[in-house]
Amino acid sequence: MSGVISAIWVLCAIGAVCSLLLVVASKYMSVPVDEKFPAIRECLPGANCGACGYAGCDGYAKALAAGTEEKTNLCVPGADAAAAAIASVLGVEAQDVVEMRAYVRCNGDCEKSKHKYEYAGINNCFAANLLFQGEWACPNSCLGYGDCERICPSDAIHVYNGVARVDPVKCTGCGMCARQCPNHLIDLRRQVDPVIVRCSNTQNGATVRKACVNGCIGCKKCEKTCAHDAIHVVDNLARIDYDKCVGCGDCVGVCPVGVLQKL
Amino acid sequence: MKRKMQILLNGIFRENPVLILVLGCCSALAISVTVLGSLGMGAAMTFVLVCSNMVIAALRKVIPDKIRIPCYIIVIATFVTLVEMIVKAYMQTLYDALGIFLPLIVVNCIVLGRAEMFASKNSVSDSLFDGLGMGIGYTLVLTCMALVRELFGAGSLLGHQIIPEEYTVRILAQTPGGFFMFGCLMALLVWGLARHGKKFKPEMGCGENGCSGCAMADKCPGNEQKEATGV
Amino acid sequence: MTKLLSIMFVMIFTENYVLVQFLGICPFMGVSKKFDSSIGMSGAVIFVMTLASAATWLIYHYVMMPLHLEYLSTIIFILVIAALVQFVEIFLKRYAQGLYRALGVYLPLITTNCIVLAATLLNIDEGYTFLQSCVNGFSAGVGFALALILFCGVRKALENAKPPKSFEGLPITLVAAALTSLTFMGFTGMAERLFGG
Repeated sequence: MSGVISAIWVLCAIGAVCSLLLVVASKYMSVPVDEKFPAIRECLPGANCGACGYAGCDGYAKALAAGTEEKTNLCVPGADAAAAAIASVLGVEAQDVVEMRAYVRCNGDCEKSKHKYEYAGINNCFAANLLFQGEWACPNSCLGYGDCERICPSDAIHVYNGVARVDPVKCTGCGMCARQCPNHLIDLRRQVDPVIVRCSNTQNGATVRKACVNGCIGCKKCEKTCAHDAIHVVDNLARIDYDKCVGCGDCVGVCPVGVLQKL
Repeated sequence: MKRKMQILLNGIFRENPVLILVLGCCSALAISVTVLGSLGMGAAMTFVLVCSNMVIAALRKVIPDKIRIPCYIIVIATFVTLVEMIVKAYMQTLYDALGIFLPLIVVNCIVLGRAEMFASKNSVSDSLFDGLGMGIGYTLVLTCMALVRELFGAGSLLGHQIIPEEYTVRILAQTPGGFFMFGCLMALLVWGLARHGKKFKPEMGCGENGCSGCAMADKCPGNEQKEATGV
Repeated sequence: MTKLLSIMFVMIFTENYVLVQFLGICPFMGVSKKFDSSIGMSGAVIFVMTLASAATWLIYHYVMMPLHLEYLSTIIFILVIAALVQFVEIFLKRYAQGLYRALGVYLPLITTNCIVLAATLLNIDEGYTFLQSCVNGFSAGVGFALALILFCGVRKALENAKPPKSFEGLPITLVAAALTSLTFMGFTGMAERLFGG
């Protein structure tokens, strides 16, 4: 009988000690949770893209709750809805979010571009780029293995016919694809800027022509046509100054290779 | 009565714990070396499942939600200790065959998972049949694997040597053989179900793919990541 | 000293908990998909197993043995492990945020896992001293980590493979696990040769 009693005693004692330890620990070692933090975190989309400049949505929400960050319009994927929600939680006026969209500075699909060699390695842009900047003849081309496609949280960028394309409707402007591309071909533009240059190659026109029929040859027709001094050819590549561009699309019509595009 | 039979058959076929829910594979792979071990383990598992399911179902309105997992573990551990003592006293060979996996029934995903998924939400009699069904399903799968592994791996069946040892595929009785047999059995199931027009993709009962049977689903890192990305 | 080294070697290689002793398969299959979660899980397992081995050994030898309550080892061990892990989680959350972020989320998952309980029970079965138990727990955790990280690499290679239709998904992963455990069979008998048994 004493064995049974001692068994019951020991079990109760161990249970009591454990629960006491846990109760004490949870009381004295509790981490004070700011009430505003969960409320603000709820307003954010949770993509953890880093477009706001903080380490994920948690980071931005913590900064806002602690008061070290005043701007409520840093969340690009969340757009105006998130900014308004955050503003209402914090009790400040909502700020406008500049809506951004990603675009790929390459138009070299399988029919228009040439290969340097046949690649049979890992199906990964980063890996392909390590081998003499990829299999395409152009050194600044889209490698087409879909690293951007895999990281996009909004399913907005896909590789079609060997080149990546962004769907402006689905794109939230978080910028994760831009950080992922090993050739740094993806840029962010404001949603209101519809004209883009679909090439990143700075080699001279003849070399570009041999590599890809869709590449910018630096002929300067766009520069001469633009009435707003918004597009210039620098280093054999057309570049748009978005502060001056009004989106008229005149340059698009005169480009002989079709590297300019109006969305 | 029909509902009870349905619950029973559910545990054996539609929601077989080892092949469909993919829970409790540790013990399944380790014990299925001998048929005797499988039958013994299956019996022990069934006993623990039935008893713990019944007790937890009976206490389901009393146990507070916050500490339910420790409470379930205490109940299950009690029955496991009971089984351990009975097996050690009356079936020494079985005790040696099962080794460490007998006390490990406590943390077997099947028992805890069924307690969380079924017993905490259903009546005592329903839980009894669920425990019985799950236990029988588990025993069946283990015995199937053990039949092949013991016969071709060690050449014996229930201790009687049938195939001479020189002609056995020794690897089947060891660890790699266990993994391989389990993979092949699962592939066979997928193929068989596909033939009948039912598409089935086995997914781990725990981890980033599916949390169908895991009692700790709300604390799992895989689920937290899914919530974090919001996609 | 040789005994300790022998324990370490055996636990990490010859009797690797995952690939030889079939323990901890659930997290092994579930977590090895991503490399980051593998690292986090490994850290958590090593941490918990060492602590649990120490705590349970002390309780067994100073509370249970004097009172002849060895038969209660299953219940008491699992209670102690659960409480210990919960306490460690609270402690880390308060005092070591970096460590908590790295492995805190995996801690509740391994409480009810075969590995930790198995290691503590085997310590008792083998009759190890306190230091040997801690080393045993630590090495078992390292063995799990090794198997997990190796298998992570194997699964990455599996992504590019094209198995037969019925084998897609879990079955081919299991076959890959079979081959991985086959490689570990090469360590049989090495412990005796290296450390004299």
